[in-house]
Amino acid sequence: MGELSALFAPERIAVVGATEREGSVGRAIMQNLLDAFEGEVVPVNPSKSAVFDLPAVDGVGDADADLAVVVVPPDIAVDVVREAGEAGIDRVVVITAGFGETGSEGATREAELIEVAEAYDIDLVGPNSLGIMSTPVGMNATFGPENAQSGRMSFMSQSGAFITAVLDWANAEGIGFKDVVSLGNKAVLDESDFVEEWGDDPETDVIIGYLEGIDDGQEFIATARKVTRETPIVLVKSGRTDAGAQAASSHTGTIAGSDAAYEAGLEQAGVIRAESVQELFDAARVLENQPLPESDDVAVITNAGGPGVMSTDAIGDSRLSMASFSDETLDAFSESLPAEGNIYNPVDIVGDADNERFRDALDVALGDENVGSVIVLSCPTAVLDYGQLAEDTVELQEEYGKPVAACFMGGNRVAPAAEILSEAGIPNYFDPARAVLGLDALSRFRDITEREYESPTTFDVDRERAGEILSSVEGRTDTRLGVEAMGLLDAYGIPTPDGEIVDSPADAREVAAGITGDVVMKIVSPDILHKSDIGGVKVGVADADVEDAYEDLVSRARNYQPDATIIGVQVQEMVDLDSGVETIVGMNRDPQFGPLLLFGLGGIFVETLEDTTFRVAPVSESEAEAMTREIDAAPLLRGARGRDPADVAGVVETIQRLSQLVTDFPAILELDINPLVATPDGVEAVDVRLTVDPDEL
Amino acid sequence: MHNDTILVASIEDSTGKTAVTLALGRLAQERGLRVGYMKPKGTRLQSNVGKTLDEDPMLARELLGLESEMHQMEPIVYSPTFVKGVLRGQENADELGEIVETQFAELAADTDLMLVEGGGTWTTGGMVDLTDADIAERLDAGVLLVANYERANDLDDVAAAAAAFGDRLAGVLFNGVTDAAFDELESEAVPFLEDRGVPVLGVVPRERDLAGVRVGDLASELGAEVVNEGDSESYVERFLVGAMSGDAALRYFRRTKNAAVITGGDRSEIITAALEAPGVTAIILTGGHRPTGAILGKAKKRGVPILLATGDTLSVVDRAEAIVNTGRARDEETISRMQHLLHDHADVDAILGDGGDRDEQDSDEDDGKAVDESDGDAGERNRDDS
Repeated sequence: MGELSALFAPERIAVVGATEREGSVGRAIMQNLLDAFEGEVVPVNPSKSAVFDLPAVDGVGDADADLAVVVVPPDIAVDVVREAGEAGIDRVVVITAGFGETGSEGATREAELIEVAEAYDIDLVGPNSLGIMSTPVGMNATFGPENAQSGRMSFMSQSGAFITAVLDWANAEGIGFKDVVSLGNKAVLDESDFVEEWGDDPETDVIIGYLEGIDDGQEFIATARKVTRETPIVLVKSGRTDAGAQAASSHTGTIAGSDAAYEAGLEQAGVIRAESVQELFDAARVLENQPLPESDDVAVITNAGGPGVMSTDAIGDSRLSMASFSDETLDAFSESLPAEGNIYNPVDIVGDADNERFRDALDVALGDENVGSVIVLSCPTAVLDYGQLAEDTVELQEEYGKPVAACFMGGNRVAPAAEILSEAGIPNYFDPARAVLGLDALSRFRDITEREYESPTTFDVDRERAGEILSSVEGRTDTRLGVEAMGLLDAYGIPTPDGEIVDSPADAREVAAGITGDVVMKIVSPDILHKSDIGGVKVGVADADVEDAYEDLVSRARNYQPDATIIGVQVQEMVDLDSGVETIVGMNRDPQFGPLLLFGLGGIFVETLEDTTFRVAPVSESEAEAMTREIDAAPLLRGARGRDPADVAGVVETIQRLSQLVTDFPAILELDINPLVATPDGVEAVDVRLTVDPDEL
Repeated sequence: MHNDTILVASIEDSTGKTAVTLALGRLAQERGLRVGYMKPKGTRLQSNVGKTLDEDPMLARELLGLESEMHQMEPIVYSPTFVKGVLRGQENADELGEIVETQFAELAADTDLMLVEGGGTWTTGGMVDLTDADIAERLDAGVLLVANYERANDLDDVAAAAAAFGDRLAGVLFNGVTDAAFDELESEAVPFLEDRGVPVLGVVPRERDLAGVRVGDLASELGAEVVNEGDSESYVERFLVGAMSGDAALRYFRRTKNAAVITGGDRSEIITAALEAPGVTAIILTGGHRPTGAILGKAKKRGVPILLATGDTLSVVDRAEAIVNTGRARDEETISRMQHLLHDHADVDAILGDGGDRDEQDSDEDDGKAVDESDGDAGERNRDDS
């Protein structure tokens, strides 16, 4: 059991601010606790001698409790927590609102609260929390109207109101919980703490959550990776769209963070991300109750041709596939099914199928070693008893130990059968797509449990030199560096073409003379963003023309943008773009997950095609390698249509080296190598742009 | 008895004329000189309980510890009303010139050095024959011309002004010179001017603290409500308008230093992005929308000031730009920074004249403050001179 387990199994709870006053939070919590809590409840209220017939004490220090629930007004809440700390109570739930969510005064109060919690080493939930619940001990320390039924899911939410809504619905659906936490402002305990606790909790089989932000993405990834070896985590992260992000930031004051970072971060953490509340529970219920499939091959057994096709489409949209039956299975189906049926997947046992034919077909399909899971898909007919079919389904599912999803279509006729299925942990859906989603979640979680997380490779680099180059931003009026910082890549072993930045025609000539063949010349100015648009790039300049080209570039830049600061002209070795693929390797530092690496098709295609993929750094070799496979243009790198394959290993190494660079230097806020040209002979970083936070240097 | 007058004139508005004038005053005071100040044509007008006054003389009184009357320090209020009056023939140029001379004589009595600050540009007052060149003539003043330098063309104006001041020109002081322009100015422009007989008395580099405006000052100049205090001492040099998605906004905001983000109070995703960007020193909200408590709480945590300005984003941008461009960060700290800059980058001895030099050596012994501020460097300069 984790360190927080005691929070969910207290013996004596002090309710500070307990009262009988109608409509008050203090009353609601008392009532909820008195309803089912197995331990003792001590009201704390200096102006009352008793609350609900329980003798009240004056201060939390007199309560001799192991958990304090605080519902006093905000101006005294911090003092109450301090008193609790002094009395040795190290678990506190602060229901009181009026902290960081209300403005600057509240933010100051919240900072004090954090200080007190740290001084006394208090595990603090909230403030601004609905409270916590734990069904094994009957604890409902919330002011919500519903108590949870017992179950094996534990649920955290950044919205208290959402908890009350979910509980009301879940009670109607027969869905139970082990623990429920309203995270509130997450001043001390946050999502990572609860994920860790529930990962260690033998009574929690699935962790679910509703989050609007993640406090420390890197910590969350590390914790969730450990937990998801055994316990699935399914989260709804809201704020996916621009409008949603705006709403989320209004609600919590946290930047929503880029959705790409969440997508990548949660994937790397082994978390299954649900797009909606319905998906959240569809996935969670299956994960709670069904075994993991050995393969992704699904058999669909149906008495209805049309729905059979629909479910096949749904499977096609998912990571799953339609199973190809073994010869034995096909023989068995040929023998038992009428001629107008379909023995191939989806198996159509025809509308006149009775319970026996259905049961036999299920039995055969589940017995086929090529089948990982089965969807029982049926429409009501006069010859079919749904109740019997439900019982047969439950029995066979248990016998074979393979996941089964049910789509008994219909309305009133289905209800009793759905009950039977639900009790056995098989949810029933009208829509085959939802049944498929559940099986899909099982398959994803199976892969997550089988993941091997490698450590990132550490390369030998010149960190000191890189630091010096980054420091050059300190004297500038903006925070950006361009090709003048190419040395940064070199210091981290990322290949760059030969070249130098010069500030006179004579020097340009000298540098060009040292480079074999023609050169590329580019204007270097922090103020000119699109060099080629103003004729600031010359390709294939012969040595004899270098001095003229220099003058020409500088005067074009001056004419175009007289105010621009011109650092000089870059004289660079020609890179053969025709034989290579232009890619982009970049990083944008996400406020919550940290450095988010990007890989994609580069050059002018970045903005148009957006063929990109993301990972939170640091990445291992296999993660970097996966990035090169994930983009749509991946075949180009590997030699599509007779081209020689590019140096993919070089690209993979560049991603890893960039990962190390941005991990070593938190001062780098964003960095793009565009293009990184990958040819059959190797890779070269032709251009670089970065933004540096001078305060982090 | 008064013995010296310096008129500080400028090519353009907002070249740091006031800061230079007052810093010179303080440097002269450190050398034991009794200093007086006058701004004959009040141009930086601020309405003060119905009466329009220039802020600069008020600041001079405060920073130089002067007790002169405002109406003496600023005899002509060069307000739009005044200019209209001139147009309509209600003002007499000779009389005005005499008023300036009379007030000057009174102010100058019992001073060793009179500092006269010119109008917004040196040609201000031409309508009543009172350009800075005319005033220098009337008051028998030497002229220090303060100029900017960005590119060689800027020397056109310098040369024209130098010709107008003639022999009265003591020299040119280039102020607020950016790193980008510094080399060209020192290696080519200065020799060019000196060849033509225009002395250059200093090249003062652009200093962020003198270029920007303090958040606290910005708030009061904008008449904005401060909804989160934060670090009101930090500086704003530029403004960014937030009107993109939160993700794009964060990239944009991170690329800048000392910036204030101006956006609608309802654009929470822009505000939270601005709170994440290290270079954003203030957030100005427009449209009368107040952000949610959660956002204010976050701003408090980050220590970033949030100002609520009236008007739409466009009008607030215009007003805010105007405030930064006229450089209203005029206070004790600004002047003392300018004092250091002049000490390090200008020939203060030449500007203040020989009398100042003698006194400096005296004060080195009996005035500890002067030693602190002008120690080793001043010694070096003396050696250079000898």
